[in-house]
Amino acid sequence: MRRLLLTAAAATTAALALSACGTTEPAADDAKKSTERITLTDSTGEKVELDGPAKKVVGTEWNVVEHLITLGVDPVGVADVKGYKTWDTAVPLKNEPKDIGTRGEPSVETVAALKPDLIVATTDLPPAAVKQLRKVAPVLTLKAADAADPIGRMNADLDAIAKATGTTQKSDELKKAFQAKLDEGKKKLADAGLAGTKYAFADGYVMSNQVSIRPYTSGSLIGAVNEKLGLKNAWTVKGDPAYGLGTTDVEGLTKLGDVQFAYVGNDGDAGSTPFTGVLAKDKVWTSLPFVKKGNVHRLPDGIWMFGGPQSMSTYVDSVVAALTK
Amino acid sequence: MAVTATTPATRPPTATSRTGAAPVTAALVLLVAVLALVDITQGTAAVGAPEVWKAFTGQADPADASVVVASRLPRMTAGLLVGAVLGIAGAALQAVSRNVLASPDTLAVNAGSYFALGLTAAFGLSLPLFASSAFAFAGGLAAAAVVLSLSGLGAGTVRLVLAGSALTLGLTAVTEGLLLLFPAETEGLYDWNQGSIGQNGFDGVLQMAPIAVVGLVGLLLLARRVDALALGDDAARGLGVPVRATRVTAVVLAALLSTAAVTLAGPVGYVGLCAPALVRPLARRFRGFTRTRGFLPAAGLVGAALVLGSDVLLRALVPADVAVAVPTGVVTSLVGAVFLIVMAIRVRDTAGTTATERLRIRSRARFLTTTAVLVAALVGVAIAGVLLGDSKLLLGDVVNWAQGQAGRTVTFVLDTRVPRVLAALFAGAALALAGTLVQAVTRNPLAEPSVLGVSGGAALGAVLLVTTVPVAGSWGMAGAAFAGAAASSVLVFGLAARGGFQQNRLVLVGFGVAIAASALISLLIILTDPFNATKALTWLSGSTYGRSLPDVVPLIGVLAVSAAVAFARRTELDLVSLDEDTPRLLGLGLGRARLGFLALSVLLTATAVAAAGAIAFVGLVAPHAARALVGRHHTRVLPVAVLLGAVLVCTADLVGRTVIAPAQLGAGLMTAVIGTPYFLYLLVRSRG
Repeated sequence: MRRLLLTAAAATTAALALSACGTTEPAADDAKKSTERITLTDSTGEKVELDGPAKKVVGTEWNVVEHLITLGVDPVGVADVKGYKTWDTAVPLKNEPKDIGTRGEPSVETVAALKPDLIVATTDLPPAAVKQLRKVAPVLTLKAADAADPIGRMNADLDAIAKATGTTQKSDELKKAFQAKLDEGKKKLADAGLAGTKYAFADGYVMSNQVSIRPYTSGSLIGAVNEKLGLKNAWTVKGDPAYGLGTTDVEGLTKLGDVQFAYVGNDGDAGSTPFTGVLAKDKVWTSLPFVKKGNVHRLPDGIWMFGGPQSMSTYVDSVVAALTK
Repeated sequence: MAVTATTPATRPPTATSRTGAAPVTAALVLLVAVLALVDITQGTAAVGAPEVWKAFTGQADPADASVVVASRLPRMTAGLLVGAVLGIAGAALQAVSRNVLASPDTLAVNAGSYFALGLTAAFGLSLPLFASSAFAFAGGLAAAAVVLSLSGLGAGTVRLVLAGSALTLGLTAVTEGLLLLFPAETEGLYDWNQGSIGQNGFDGVLQMAPIAVVGLVGLLLLARRVDALALGDDAARGLGVPVRATRVTAVVLAALLSTAAVTLAGPVGYVGLCAPALVRPLARRFRGFTRTRGFLPAAGLVGAALVLGSDVLLRALVPADVAVAVPTGVVTSLVGAVFLIVMAIRVRDTAGTTATERLRIRSRARFLTTTAVLVAALVGVAIAGVLLGDSKLLLGDVVNWAQGQAGRTVTFVLDTRVPRVLAALFAGAALALAGTLVQAVTRNPLAEPSVLGVSGGAALGAVLLVTTVPVAGSWGMAGAAFAGAAASSVLVFGLAARGGFQQNRLVLVGFGVAIAASALISLLIILTDPFNATKALTWLSGSTYGRSLPDVVPLIGVLAVSAAVAFARRTELDLVSLDEDTPRLLGLGLGRARLGFLALSVLLTATAVAAAGAIAFVGLVAPHAARALVGRHHTRVLPVAVLLGAVLVCTADLVGRTVIAPAQLGAGLMTAVIGTPYFLYLLVRSRG
């Protein structure tokens, strides 16, 4: 023990002596020009002030990253880049942003090293981390989701980011296009005689021989989009107050009755596709009316269910295609 | 811990009835049957008792019938199987180790299996049930082998629980690390960790049933030899029983049984501990249960009743849509915790002084060199902690920063990094000091703030705040942690106060509170939105993430005061840690002195948990190591333990922040990874 400690101490001292002099950055020297200033208030009531439209932006959640990309601002830092590439192919990254760590605990140091003009975070991030990030750059903290008005929340987040990055025109276009997409989808479904169809969207995962199913209630973003399309949400379970997600198991599906059932899985994640996997042999599943009639639809991978207008537009296209097939 | 070596279950002094066993068994079977029937009528589908009746009589509509056949019956059967198997495994383990605290939980079998399954999930392997159960078996058996070989079969009972809980802590920490690193791949593993008996069809039950049958039949065949073991190793050997072979076989069979349970439903907690303990009073009354052949099936029945009863209770209390998300194991753990506490209070505490570690007298020179080396190591680690991270810095940067001249990036990096290094350093020191005080007062090598449930209470308070108030400030967090720690320690010390804080009672009650706290934390995380799980896990795993200087200030204050008090009272500490009588002879108010030191350690633990989360092991390892290095005088132990704690947590934090940057692991996880092997090494070395 003692020898070990001695060696450790000696090694550290030597390492310090060899490497520790000098600096990695010259001493401060600040002289900044201010152009048109931007001031906005974020979801936590905090004032965010910017010297001008932000160009170097970091996103700590995938939904804000998607917003940034659709607005034409390629983020310089993204949390869990690999995960984003797996789960959100509807809005692919156009550049190679720096990975800033996990979505729950992004590295403040890596963010600082990127010297961003703006950090877009969500309320899912611990307040202590947000406080530290504020010292690095202005932080726009957006409410991640709100089951009371999911689409309104999405649009408000998009608008806030657009204002901070000087892309308000683009965001207006996006919102208009999305509304048009919703109207078009609604019309197509109505033309096919599908208005008011009972519909349930879910995802699920398998652990060992247990299947958990996550219902997307009316409070979820997808659930709200479904209602705009003129579909009727068949879930009766209660969702959480932010994301509008519930929990159930296979036998809970018996309460759905005769519906159209759709889900998104991911080929990159083996546990995420129970509906074609372990459930194929499950008596409860196979005796469900919508399974018997073949009304189960796997929508394309890569639609981020908590994303922005682009993901949701892709979703609308795929639902309409699946139901009118 | 004499409580772990009470009269062997198989030789009750007052076996009064020869014939009562059959009716009692019949009553148990009836109870299990009733619970099973009630269980079938509960669930998320609208299939209640009338529909179930129709399904059985073949009149139900096909959809309802399929729910009964493909969902309810498998779940009920799984509950039956899991409970029975765990009860039997626990009974067998307790019989061969002659230790009423032996169980799949305390021998780390469950933790080992869970770790093995977590590993396969993290690497994205989606294995068929049978293959994954082979992994789980290997993991569980390996963990049991480590625990048993370190503790010596049947001999050291304290050692058994020590090694088992240490390994459980370490393995759970690593598995939780995997959960944090691979959130998508391991999704669902967290609630599965608590044990859920819900099933997707009969396949799982049918595949695991043969394993259970093999285990049960094997144990029944072994029963006579196990009975002989109750007489003591020498007597058994005299009867021609191969003691070693019997033990090894019984442990392998018990591990096989718990593997079947873990693979099927995840680790359903503490059934293996409770079921045999509930049968033991019966065995005292009825002779039929005294023999292993009668005892094992009875323990199995009680186990099944516990699991099914928990499931029924949960679904009766909570709406079905919510209940489906709450694992059965959370309820059994809560039941187990209450049970452990009641057992601890009722048990007669005949413990003398615990066998103390044999320590050589160390020279003054050795103490001085050790301290000097530790101070050097601490300075080195602290500087390394400040310089290393996602962006490497040099000393010149730090000098610039200290003078307020650093550039923008360096300023930001150091503004966030320095508080983290300080939080780790002081939390480590505080936990080590708390551990030293608790171990001195309780004279128990097992005692530690986290084992006594104090850390768990603090964490529960904090998680309560995290899950109920969306935007909780760091000061609120500290207050909540303190309230939790205070409440849990009042509970633990209050219940243990009868008889003046006797050691076994204190530790057992604390153990129970710790289990209850972690079960309640799981319950909270699952019942509130699942998106808080990462947040709460992060916080629970002991992380310095997002710490700022104001968070560290109360910790420094409390540490300074406590260290001063402890050092001023070092002679008193020496006396208290010596034995029961010497302090009394010297006129020292033992109860009051103990209470004072314990209060101090609660304060230290709460502020440390608030600053850096629940970091286990430091309070256990640092005092041990300090005594091994410099002897047992507190003049020397106190500074060395505090320095060791600071170095350990600081190093753990540094490693956690840098190895997988920019992602990071909590300091608590790294402490467990570093602490577990060292602790096991200590156990091996002190084997006597």
